[in-house]
Amino acid sequence: VKPSVVKLGVVKLGIGLLLMGVLSTGCRSGPRPAPGDPLLDAIRADERGANLSLSESQGKRLFAQYCATCHGDEGRGDGQNASNLSPPPPDLTTATGRDTAYIRKVIAEGSAATGRSALSPPWGHSLSLQEVDALVAFCESLGRHKS
Amino acid sequence: MAVEMNRLHVAFACLGVAFLLIFSWVLFHEGTAEWRTTQARFRRFETTVKNPHQLAQSAGVAGLRQIWLPDLGRVDRCVTCHLGIDDPAFAGAQQPFEAHPGTWLTTHPIEKFGCTACHDGQGQATDYRSAAHRPLPFVLRPMRPLETIEATCGTCHRSLDPPDAPRLAEGRRLIVESGCFSCHEIPGFEGLTFRGPALDSLGYKVRPEWLPLWLRDPKSYLTRSKMGNFRLSPGEIAGLQAFLLSQRASAPLDSTDIEWARADSANGRALFGELRCVSCHSVNGRGGTMGPELTRIGDKVRRDWLFSYLKDPHRVQPDTPMLQYRLTDGQLRDLTAFLLEEYRSPETGPEPPRVTYQDARLVTSGQAVFERRGCPSCHRLTAIKDPGRIGPSLAGIADRDPDELPYGRNVVRHTTDNYIFLKVLLPDALAQPSSMPTFGFTPAEAAKIALALASVRKADLPASYVLRRPVPPPYRPAGTFGELVARYRCLSCHSVGGYGGSLSTVPLDRIGSQLQHDYLTGYLLNPGAVRVSVEARMPVFHMLPAEARTIADYLSTVFLDDSLERYDTSFTAADRRRGQELYGQLGCQACHQVGSRGGYVGPDLSGTGARLKPGWIAAWLLHPQVQKPGTLQPDYGLSAADAGALTAYLGSLGSGGGPREREAAP
Repeated sequence: VKPSVVKLGVVKLGIGLLLMGVLSTGCRSGPRPAPGDPLLDAIRADERGANLSLSESQGKRLFAQYCATCHGDEGRGDGQNASNLSPPPPDLTTATGRDTAYIRKVIAEGSAATGRSALSPPWGHSLSLQEVDALVAFCESLGRHKS
Repeated sequence: MAVEMNRLHVAFACLGVAFLLIFSWVLFHEGTAEWRTTQARFRRFETTVKNPHQLAQSAGVAGLRQIWLPDLGRVDRCVTCHLGIDDPAFAGAQQPFEAHPGTWLTTHPIEKFGCTACHDGQGQATDYRSAAHRPLPFVLRPMRPLETIEATCGTCHRSLDPPDAPRLAEGRRLIVESGCFSCHEIPGFEGLTFRGPALDSLGYKVRPEWLPLWLRDPKSYLTRSKMGNFRLSPGEIAGLQAFLLSQRASAPLDSTDIEWARADSANGRALFGELRCVSCHSVNGRGGTMGPELTRIGDKVRRDWLFSYLKDPHRVQPDTPMLQYRLTDGQLRDLTAFLLEEYRSPETGPEPPRVTYQDARLVTSGQAVFERRGCPSCHRLTAIKDPGRIGPSLAGIADRDPDELPYGRNVVRHTTDNYIFLKVLLPDALAQPSSMPTFGFTPAEAAKIALALASVRKADLPASYVLRRPVPPPYRPAGTFGELVARYRCLSCHSVGGYGGSLSTVPLDRIGSQLQHDYLTGYLLNPGAVRVSVEARMPVFHMLPAEARTIADYLSTVFLDDSLERYDTSFTAADRRRGQELYGQLGCQACHQVGSRGGYVGPDLSGTGARLKPGWIAAWLLHPQVQKPGTLQPDYGLSAADAGALTAYLGSLGSGGGPREREAAP
């Protein structure tokens, strides 16, 4: 083997490596931004502003439609119809010791089913199972987001 | 020769070893597959969740499990790892063993729907990564995050108001309200029409200086304008202005005798309130949305046109939902003067004279723009024939290849969802010229529209899976009653057989069995508030007494439900007492007033005896959601006897809330 041929091979290899290096740095000229999901971001910004889970935010919408006239938008018992009620609706944000089954019972069977006044009606016949689920989830979130 | 044989022996030996290695690797790999280790984990976990008795009953898991749905072309092996998915014992357990949250599997049995029909993802995969729980290169439909899952609800639920999918419902409502289907074919929205105002007489209607401002940016005049911004050049605007202001098909009704100097705008203000204009039109951000906002109407229209339009809106706008009040010329004058004085910008000057364009070239160029940008899709103009839909069809848009769609300079993950979202939000920001107007949707609105469109798939599902949108047949009554229905546009707010508007509280289908005839007549002449908390109210039509009688007679004769009419009303005093007790026990007073005591969420029940028919009261109390879907009246699950007792009590209530005087027997 002639030394000149070896030399030529080394030079070729060097040029090749150099080219690869240049090409690869050319391709990655800066840190690439991670591709975003604008649709998802828009929905999250819209509905998780109050830091609610999905089912809680669905419940919030139902709460506004069916419950807020008496219980108030935030469940504080200050709805526009609250002054007509005796006993008045409770502040749901401070209610303690109410487990999921209890809340479900009040929503689905009415407050009379738990031995209190009959002013909060039963919704179990009117709303779907999913809707009651969502309302329960939202009511449970009320205490959590009190601060 | 011997050397040759030796070489072959060595080669065979090597191959043998290689096969053995590969074989043992395959065995090892298969034995430690992700799904096997997961199932082993599950068996250990199950013993911590269940007691020995339950364990003895449980079927034990071993091997691949799958749900095969030939109708949907799906094989879902998700249940190979999600082993507790339909077992309530695993509620709230660690993943992947957690039971499905909520009650969704009750309404959507897993044997019929599988998993990927709702969640998307790779159903046939048996490990976490290739099931595409997270986005994966080359997988067109990775699992949907919960935020966008309503898009798959929409593939089966085709109605405009699908249950338990509020974002999808809102998206479809926005599509209907914005009339996207005027320019695009969208499967699921067939037969719906969207109409902007007819432009045949625009030259008489608007002040010339208003039109270019509107064309440049409709939102600058109405923040909630339904018309998008077409991003027109000044030349295009000038042409359109000339073309549109030359449209003078029918002159306004004669108002030369009107003494405008004597207009009493205080009376106009009183009329504006009494006619309940705000049920449909908003002013200063409050009011209905069926008609255009009136906050700056004085900057837009001419006085003689407005007078003429209020007198007879149907002459120039045959499709308008606006009713024709029965007002005198003096009342119309006062109302016109009030609207133009009250709702205008301070800088708006007196009304300029009409402009006549002599430059035929300008008018022709305006007509070309009008046709090219698809204006006739929404605006009727007799001079122009309807060119059909100008935009591309959106059939199967959710199945477009995301990598072939343009995303412009936006650094986003390439999904059809993101493409649709960006296109709806910023039609001109993608890397292709677009003639679609910018509608000015908020990102939240655009996202909901995108969700609704993401449910428009290419391949159609088997009919047994699809819940189609009901398409009610048009209701157009004939005769005098039909003329009155057309004049007072009853069907803009009320519906018959599902056809018509939804602003009113109950459909009219059985209104004759709901309301007493005399009450109906009186209500048509002077509609009061039945529900004080509801803002939209029936307008005071200034109807003639004879007209009210005609309508009431017709409704009480035709719109009947025989099952309600046959209701047995032989109540005893004991029934009424029992009803009164029940009224208190059930808490009705929380929402209803009787004699000014009680809440005001539902209607005031004083005087119910003169208002409602007993058969209706009973039917309503038994199944309110059947009579009016979505009503706030709760279904108490009453027995027929209890509903009867309540009916007896309510039917006995006079207008003061006390017992009603018994009418003398005929």
